[in-house]
Amino acid sequence: MDDELLELQRQFEFAQQAKSSVCLSERNVVELVQKLHQLEIIDFDLLHTVTGKEYITPEQLKNEILAEIKKLGRVSLIDLADITGVDLYHVEKQAQDVVSSDKTLMLINGEIISNLFWDTAAEEINERLQECSQIALAEIAAQLQVGSELIVTVLEPRLGTLVKARLEGGQLYTPAYVERVNSMVRGAARGICLPINLLALWNTLQSLLQEMNGAGGVAVESSFFQSLFNGAVKDGEILGSLRAGVQWTPLVFATAQKECVDALFSQGSFISYDALHKLGITQPLQFLQSRYAEGIPLDTVFAHPSIVEMLDAAMEDAIERESWIDALSVLPPAFASQDASKILSTCPSVQTAIKSNKVVVFGDSYVFSSGFVKSLFDLLEKEMDTLNVSSFALKSDDQNNLGDDSSNLSDSNDAGNDSTSSKQVSDKTSRKKKGKSAGGAKMASIESGLDYQENVPSRSKKNQKKGKNSNSLQERDSKSVSKRDNDGPKGDSSSIISEEWLVKKLLMLIPDIEEQGIDDPETILLPLANHLRPMLLNILRERKKAAFTENAQKIKRLLDSIQRKLDESSLNIQLYEKALDLLEEDQSTSVLLHKHLLRTTATPLVDFLLLNMDMHNKLKNGIQIDESQNVESVLLSSGERVDLAKSFQGPLAAKAIALVEASEGKSVETFMTALRAMAEESGLMLKKLDKKLERTLLHSYRKDLTAQVAAEKDPVSLLPKVVSLLYVQIYGKALQAPGRAISVAVSHLKEKLDDSAFKTLTDYQSATVTLLSLMSAATGDEEDCTSDRISTKREFLETLMPALKSLVLGTQQS
Amino acid sequence: MEGWDPTTKSTLTQIPLLTIKAGPRDGATWTQRLKEEYKALITYTTMNKKNDNDWFRISAANPEGTRWTGKCWYVHNLLKYEFDLQFDIPVTYPATAPELELPQLDGKTEKMYRGGKICLTVHFKPLWAKNCPRFGIAHALCLGLAPWLAAEIPVLVDSGMVKHKDDAASSVEV
Repeated sequence: MDDELLELQRQFEFAQQAKSSVCLSERNVVELVQKLHQLEIIDFDLLHTVTGKEYITPEQLKNEILAEIKKLGRVSLIDLADITGVDLYHVEKQAQDVVSSDKTLMLINGEIISNLFWDTAAEEINERLQECSQIALAEIAAQLQVGSELIVTVLEPRLGTLVKARLEGGQLYTPAYVERVNSMVRGAARGICLPINLLALWNTLQSLLQEMNGAGGVAVESSFFQSLFNGAVKDGEILGSLRAGVQWTPLVFATAQKECVDALFSQGSFISYDALHKLGITQPLQFLQSRYAEGIPLDTVFAHPSIVEMLDAAMEDAIERESWIDALSVLPPAFASQDASKILSTCPSVQTAIKSNKVVVFGDSYVFSSGFVKSLFDLLEKEMDTLNVSSFALKSDDQNNLGDDSSNLSDSNDAGNDSTSSKQVSDKTSRKKKGKSAGGAKMASIESGLDYQENVPSRSKKNQKKGKNSNSLQERDSKSVSKRDNDGPKGDSSSIISEEWLVKKLLMLIPDIEEQGIDDPETILLPLANHLRPMLLNILRERKKAAFTENAQKIKRLLDSIQRKLDESSLNIQLYEKALDLLEEDQSTSVLLHKHLLRTTATPLVDFLLLNMDMHNKLKNGIQIDESQNVESVLLSSGERVDLAKSFQGPLAAKAIALVEASEGKSVETFMTALRAMAEESGLMLKKLDKKLERTLLHSYRKDLTAQVAAEKDPVSLLPKVVSLLYVQIYGKALQAPGRAISVAVSHLKEKLDDSAFKTLTDYQSATVTLLSLMSAATGDEEDCTSDRISTKREFLETLMPALKSLVLGTQQS
Repeated sequence: MEGWDPTTKSTLTQIPLLTIKAGPRDGATWTQRLKEEYKALITYTTMNKKNDNDWFRISAANPEGTRWTGKCWYVHNLLKYEFDLQFDIPVTYPATAPELELPQLDGKTEKMYRGGKICLTVHFKPLWAKNCPRFGIAHALCLGLAPWLAAEIPVLVDSGMVKHKDDAASSVEV
């Protein structure tokens, strides 16, 4: 116990005796180092750690850096700064030194990486590649945490050595994998027989690969396929041509295509573009032109010159025979009408014939020799002769209905023409519309290549050939319309010779058109009709012109006669009207006289006027009229008169109707005003009765009447004439009195005549009255005494006659 | 343990703690206690030597180990001031801390009781009481005397109350 205590005491003693270690304070050390610097014993930059507790020489730092690099082959500067505890600035500086002195090191993005690191990385990559067949560079870069560009630059020298792989579009592939894909590409490319867009092929291959690899399979870039494919093409493993980088045409296809085209073309001497489209040639024209320089490109087919020769021969034949031919019938059925027109234009015989006007081309394919057309034309001309009369009648009716004002007796042709022409225009346009719609309907029916629409440009072409400067049908139409405007009423004839009519006639004239078995003969006949129609119309027009000049003379004559008659009659009426004034007082007699006058004088005048006006109308419209027709002899019933009056146009009809009504009225004055209005309307002159004219008229009337009285044998009809003559002699007025008014007229003479003369007159008159009453009474009875009495009375009258005659004639003499 | 500088604290924690609670009158257990005291002192001394911080020499003045004597020193301005050190183990030890005496400085400073017993800081006693019986002589030296010397000696030297032994020798001569 004590021993232990003693031992402890000794130990304590010993511990206290032990020498104490000597330590320098930090401050002292810092001062010492400073001193060493001052004394230049330390002649290099002494670095210190960030804690400030340690000094470190650059050499040591460098060694430490190198040691760190050796550990992993790669170290970041920031990590280095942490590890060494030295400021980053110094670390960077030293790192740059280290990297520049050692070629196997590189400083990238704040990291020092040694080649050793890359080698190991490459080995790792290689191992992984052997497992996965392919790795994306991006994946590697992400894994190594470096840029993919860097990876590429680093990997490239190691490809084939450390990394047994192929770099393609950012992917690494093992040779085996590449070989497999290559085989796929080759197999697919060899299997293709049709042109194909390679991208589509790559897509299918890609999906195939994905299926093989399962869901985890990595997508293969199509550029990879493409490069493999290009390589295969270059090596001649796949035959074909590549266009625009992606459009692959296999050689087998190209060959087959070529052979097919050759075969087709040599067989038929032509080939249609449709066929080429079916063969997969997208631009047939260029293709054919490059292959067959001598061929003729048409709209839908490509023809060998031999076809032209054949066509040419047929055309020549047709032209020589003066016949017609449908180019389509000679050409193979694949030719469309546009092609026919085009090929015709290359046909030398047709061209020369067209130049020498020996041939006319209709539609696209119909060639008519001008001889044939001429013969047709002649036939049609003859046909027209039969047509004329009926058409005229038809047309005049038509015109009246439409209210054409051509019955003006004056020379108002201009105005009349305007209205007719405007009517024609409207007529024409409406017909054109009809034709158009008909054409549209037809279009549907002839879709077998003969397109109606297509006819339009070709027809206009034809017009150009003929030297017409119109470029389109439309223009031509408008031109023809305007031409018709100028022609005036003569343009009507166009409506007579309608296209439909022409077509019908042509069908009759050319029966072999139907034999040809053409679906719709109109397609050929319409243009032909259109061609012939203007010529026919011209002929018609000329004929009408001739007729017109003839009619003009007639009209003149007619107008003259109308005027003459009108003058005569109207003057007479005026003359007689004056005489009516004498008997104005007696109402009933006056009315009677008026009526009588209207009936006897005015009505024939009205009839004549109406009939002649009607005739004038017809003449004006160019209708032939039989001149021998005796107008004056015709007497009309009131109904006929009204009808005729109504048949006139516009105001003239109203005036004419008024005139007719007035003629059946009771007042001569109203009739005269109506007559005047009518005359004014129709442009005729109505003469006024003046003194001189009245006297001469009266004189001639009197002379006339005197001669009549002198010659009169019939005792009954003598009386009114004597009375009239007496009125002339006494009053200087011409009285036209009906039998019933005679007694009044006689009594009116009482003051003027001396008694004996008046007595003679009254006796005669009463005797006449009794005779007439007896005669009227006797009509119904059988032979009885009345006839005796009549005869005795007549005899009595006859005895009186000389006295009466002397009464008149005597006074005349005195 | 606030109130002491960090060096003191770290040193204190390195001194091994005692386990036996026994006073000078407890006979055999006191011997056991004394052994532990020695072990702690040895560790403390070794530690001080290692850190170049050796500052005292003590040894038991009687076989019972109830009285200790020795020297302690402090270096100020490159001069070493050395003083005698003595203390008794109180009967109530280890509940009561030993009273360290520096007889040479008796009456020279107010931080001292009569007879040269140093005045310890207010923190010392509660800490000691709290750590009874784990604290021993080594702890008392480390917590008590070392800080006292560091605080008082510069003041005493500057005020001229304490002179270096070379000067003191001359002054004694005077």
